[in-house]
Amino acid sequence: MAGRRVLITGVGSHMGATVAGRLAAHPHFDHVAGLDTRLPSERLDGVELIQADIRDPAMDTIVPGAQVDTVVHNQIVRRPGPGMSSRAMHDINVIGSLQLLTACERSPTIETIVIRGSAGIYGAEPNAPQFFGEEMAQLFPLRTRFQRDVSEIENLFANFAARHPDVTCTMLRYQPGIGPSVDTQVTRYLAARLVPTYLGFDPRVQFVHEDDALDALMAAVERPVRGAVNVAGPGSIGLTRLIRAAGRASLPVAAPVFGAVADAMRRLGVPSLSEDFKRLLRWGRAVDTARLVDEVGFTPRYSTPSAVEDYLRRRGGLRLLGGLVP
Amino acid sequence: MTRQPDPIEMASLFLRGVRSGLDAGLELPEAAARGAASLPRGARDRLRSAARRFGGDYGEDEWGFDAEFADNVEPLAAFLYERWWRVHAEGAEKVPAHGRALLAANHAGILPWDAVMISTAIMREHPLPRQPRFLVLDWAFRLPYVSVVMRKVGGVVASPHNARRLLEQDELVAVFPEGVKGTGKPYSERYRLQRFGRGGFVEIALATGAPIVPVAVVGSEEIYPKLGESPALARALGAPFFPLTPTFPWLGALGALPLPSRWRIEFCDPIATAHYGPEAVRDRGLVLELSERVRDTVQRKVLENVVKRGPAFL
Repeated sequence: MAGRRVLITGVGSHMGATVAGRLAAHPHFDHVAGLDTRLPSERLDGVELIQADIRDPAMDTIVPGAQVDTVVHNQIVRRPGPGMSSRAMHDINVIGSLQLLTACERSPTIETIVIRGSAGIYGAEPNAPQFFGEEMAQLFPLRTRFQRDVSEIENLFANFAARHPDVTCTMLRYQPGIGPSVDTQVTRYLAARLVPTYLGFDPRVQFVHEDDALDALMAAVERPVRGAVNVAGPGSIGLTRLIRAAGRASLPVAAPVFGAVADAMRRLGVPSLSEDFKRLLRWGRAVDTARLVDEVGFTPRYSTPSAVEDYLRRRGGLRLLGGLVP
Repeated sequence: MTRQPDPIEMASLFLRGVRSGLDAGLELPEAAARGAASLPRGARDRLRSAARRFGGDYGEDEWGFDAEFADNVEPLAAFLYERWWRVHAEGAEKVPAHGRALLAANHAGILPWDAVMISTAIMREHPLPRQPRFLVLDWAFRLPYVSVVMRKVGGVVASPHNARRLLEQDELVAVFPEGVKGTGKPYSERYRLQRFGRGGFVEIALATGAPIVPVAVVGSEEIYPKLGESPALARALGAPFFPLTPTFPWLGALGALPLPSRWRIEFCDPIATAHYGPEAVRDRGLVLELSERVRDTVQRKVLENVVKRGPAFL
């Protein structure tokens, strides 16, 4: 069997560059093309870098021209970067996915599409099941803009998959990532000394360790399955416990003024919190990872509590007050 | 004989220890440790556990159940059980000592005190006590603080997905098949069970092969005698109903104090479901039949226990 040829979008991100590098080093993959508007600063051996905007209609010629059998869609923006408007974020997420799919329609060689999507589609709800299964994406109304975007992206890919039964589409639903070398809303939140929390709430939250996030994507590329797959560290952790273990102080704020107080705290190093993240801080969310383990054949190395522990230890911030009193 | 020092003495012992530590050039944490070392053992243990919990070092499972917290609030539950409601429990030994099982109980009394008392009865009267997990109306999880405490003592959102997962983990799960219809019923309908919905709890038991243990509770009906309700306030608060009792909301928070009725809890013989196989979930006739059987058993036992109990408050 000839080696596989793969195209990865969002190669300029930390995750994209790392996955591209690992695919290029992998014996099963002959050719790796990476696409982004901003290319990675470090050199990537064996990766053909293509500088292009995913929203650009030129995608129509770039993707078929790459002659790939696998597309890894790694350009779904979870929070606007510096200088990026929420409008631009929506465009990259939805129009970008649409443009990529149109290009895939013209690429008869494609057999596999793996998308790094988001578990944000489930939302965060007070009456949610403790662990969302993949079939529960429509239990609740879509409440935030990001949630609606993710849902629209999922619909686009589901429609494509229905029209092309010969193409395997894997929609990975990622929980927020945590780890020493990633920069996510969670790690930014935990970087502030004093963080706002909802008065009287202690939600259960769940993360995926950065190593597992990478390995899960690699596993899905090697062994794609049809449909949605949750990606998370099994288990969950209470927000209060997380904040205490991180050695941070929390400022409990009553729900009606939470947004205003959180904004006012930006001078104290609290990052601006997206609507999704605020809902997560109030109601929490966890997903079930049985499908990832049983069907993709990938068992996360870190549970949510151990991912948190590893992150805090390597960041040098794990506070063990237990040893304080003899 | 040594005398146990009082709290003020302990505080001064502690502070003296901290100061001598600081004087000796130690950093504050070490000095605090030295101060703590001068305390008597019991106080030292409590301080150590508080410091450990404050450092985020405490166990919670994936549901948020916190065994240590549950132990810490046990004295309150014990007081309510023994003194306030003078609970008499029967048949606790019929609850399976290990493996999955589903407790199905009647529900009354607005706040889920009946869940707390069922769990206390098992913890105190069962030869091999185990903490049940109970499915709590999701409305409770919208409330600040209530949601936190609920989770820590073993409550989960009432969702079939949660019930199923807990049973697959071989837990003991308590459900109130009447749901909000039970908690919100008026005082005049006391001791009369409401409809059991579509028998969802039976489907879950069949799917997981868990035996169903009917549980009858008498006494929860009298703790908040609901005379009426205010739909306008319920809408304003997003609550399923807003009760009006002789004391609530007229006395404010004090009105939420449950009345000291006398309680009886009876655990009935388990109904096995494993032999039907998981396919039986789709057998509507069987589901409704089992659901009716559980309801009849609970209703009969409730009426029996009302008679056995005698006067409600004496």
